[in-house]
Amino acid sequence: MTHNGISRYSMEIATALLTGGIGLAICYGAWQVGTGWTPSGPDSGYFPFWIGVLVVAGSVVNLLRTIVGHRHKDEIFLDAARLKSLARFVLPILGFAVISLLLGLYVGTTLYVLFAMRLQGHYAWWKSLVSGVAISVCFYLLFELVFQVPLLKGPLEHAFGIY
Amino acid sequence: MNNLSLLMDGFATILTWNHLLIMVIGVMLGMLVGVLPGLGAPNGVSLLLPLTFTMDPVSAIILLSCMYWGALFGGSTTSILFNIPGEPSSVATTFDGYPMARNGEATRALTLAFMSAGLGALAGVVMITLLASSVAQFGLKFSSPEYFAVYFLAFCSFIGMSSSAPSKTLVSMMLGLAFATVGMDSVSGGLRLTFGIPDLVKGISFLVAVMGLFGIAELMVTTEEGLSFNGIKSRIRVRDILRTMAELPRYWASLVRSILIGIWMGITPAGPTAASFMSHGIAKRFSRHPERFGKGEPNGIVSPEAADHSAGTSALLPMLALGVPGSATAAVMMGGLMIWGLTPGPMLFITRPDFVWGLIASMYLGNVVAVILVLATVPLYASILRVPFAIIGPVIVAVIFTGVYQVANSTFDFWLLLFFALLGYLFKKLDYPVAPLVLAMVLGHRAEEAFRQSMVMSDGSLTIFWSNSLVSTIMGLGVLMLVWPLFSRMLGLRGWRRRLQRQKPQASKPATPDSRP
Repeated sequence: MTHNGISRYSMEIATALLTGGIGLAICYGAWQVGTGWTPSGPDSGYFPFWIGVLVVAGSVVNLLRTIVGHRHKDEIFLDAARLKSLARFVLPILGFAVISLLLGLYVGTTLYVLFAMRLQGHYAWWKSLVSGVAISVCFYLLFELVFQVPLLKGPLEHAFGIY
Repeated sequence: MNNLSLLMDGFATILTWNHLLIMVIGVMLGMLVGVLPGLGAPNGVSLLLPLTFTMDPVSAIILLSCMYWGALFGGSTTSILFNIPGEPSSVATTFDGYPMARNGEATRALTLAFMSAGLGALAGVVMITLLASSVAQFGLKFSSPEYFAVYFLAFCSFIGMSSSAPSKTLVSMMLGLAFATVGMDSVSGGLRLTFGIPDLVKGISFLVAVMGLFGIAELMVTTEEGLSFNGIKSRIRVRDILRTMAELPRYWASLVRSILIGIWMGITPAGPTAASFMSHGIAKRFSRHPERFGKGEPNGIVSPEAADHSAGTSALLPMLALGVPGSATAAVMMGGLMIWGLTPGPMLFITRPDFVWGLIASMYLGNVVAVILVLATVPLYASILRVPFAIIGPVIVAVIFTGVYQVANSTFDFWLLLFFALLGYLFKKLDYPVAPLVLAMVLGHRAEEAFRQSMVMSDGSLTIFWSNSLVSTIMGLGVLMLVWPLFSRMLGLRGWRRRLQRQKPQASKPATPDSRP
């Protein structure tokens, strides 16, 4: 963190470390199932192992390019104002995922649209609530009735006897 | 002409009211996702795909391909009227399209864009009609090593042709290949890379990846930039449309050049985005009045649009005939084919000619339908963008979540979606290309299978990939593609790529006047 935000330099490094870490995990997972040769051809870990090696190799190059080349040192990845608007967008999504797991997608959608409109657009409570309910009802009509694909339901729908 | 009679059979398959209705629905939905920021063609097709699982494959592919055409047109609409590219491939259209619309010639700009896009798409389909059979015939000669070589070539050309750093393209693509191997190993039946998580046994669906990488991530970038719509009111007058159509032959040189660029970039996996940028750049360089570009020059609209659409259609040729998609959307469609139980590739021409030629015939009709519909409904779609983003954004997110759930009725996919959203956000902001990841995810299984079968054939020796002239040529081309960045740097060709990249604002970022060339 610099005084005016997160620098692109540090994010380049962090991302290279993230992809490199995923690469190592791939190698490890592949090594667990065997990376050698079996009577019926290459083992199931053979192909993923070398893919993992390439991911690690690419990540190392990205890391070195950033550090050795001093690339993107003065660029800002995210400043405070942008971080704030990003958080207003992302946090409701996290809540959406958790609530949907517990209470189903319909309740999740209603609450998510309600809070996202409040947070991002500063709409009145009743407007946000009406929009949330309306969108849930639209989803129900569209998916359950028109396309007949059931969405995730929770205790509330069961209480009303909707399956 | 054998192809011609097959094409006629194709038309016979698709000319039913049912299919025409599907076409109209597909185009309308496509325009909707094309217009909405954050929902692009790959994402729209991914969202719609689970709903087609029970449909007949011919109807399903008509729906999805028409959605693709609609999305391409929708992307151009917002580029011209709002200076906001709805699709990454229509960024280049903002350079001259928006200035022309701002000068009060919105109808002219839109008509030029749609007509040249339509012509580009038609040229692409004609090329497919003429070449599809012979490419498929050629593909029939392939066995596992040749197939692996073709995938190798596709992967290498991504690394060589991408405007991002080669090591970043490599990481993105290899991650895609690795994600594809998670779950059940189709050869041995054993589990791998699941790390003891039961939800990973079914694997990681490329659809979830697309929705995270292209959907949520795109919205994150859009939100961060803070969208402000500065739309131009447009009234479409039939007289203006006709006058612009009469004007079109004047730009024949740009049209032909752009179509050729588009077809080439579409068949090779460079894709529509690169094609439209390159075409706009070359039009400017060849023009006698380069100073007019960026201020509403007609050639600056015609060129990127014709190239974008001819590349978009041409991308379906390698997908159909060889099983190697030329763009991210084509990759998603190819994944759809496999879900419907069809194997893309030369055998498809023999086992399901009705499907292949029905699709090709629908491309002729679908593009004509799209041009007419898009001209008729521009005001309607433009009004959607006047709805504040604080309402549209959450609705899109909710649609994506329901879409992700429909892929496998699994709540674990929510977390995968968020993971891909984070990855996509980082990748977009740090100039990692995202399309190679999706392509690799779709191709992963086939590439690995081809590799393992080749290894079995050769008893573990890599020399099988250089064992005959055909496979050596393809592998050689792949290696050439891989070292191409080095070559072009030595020859000083790298410069224009850089310049293009500098012109290129981020896909969803509203281009400010000073970022235009």
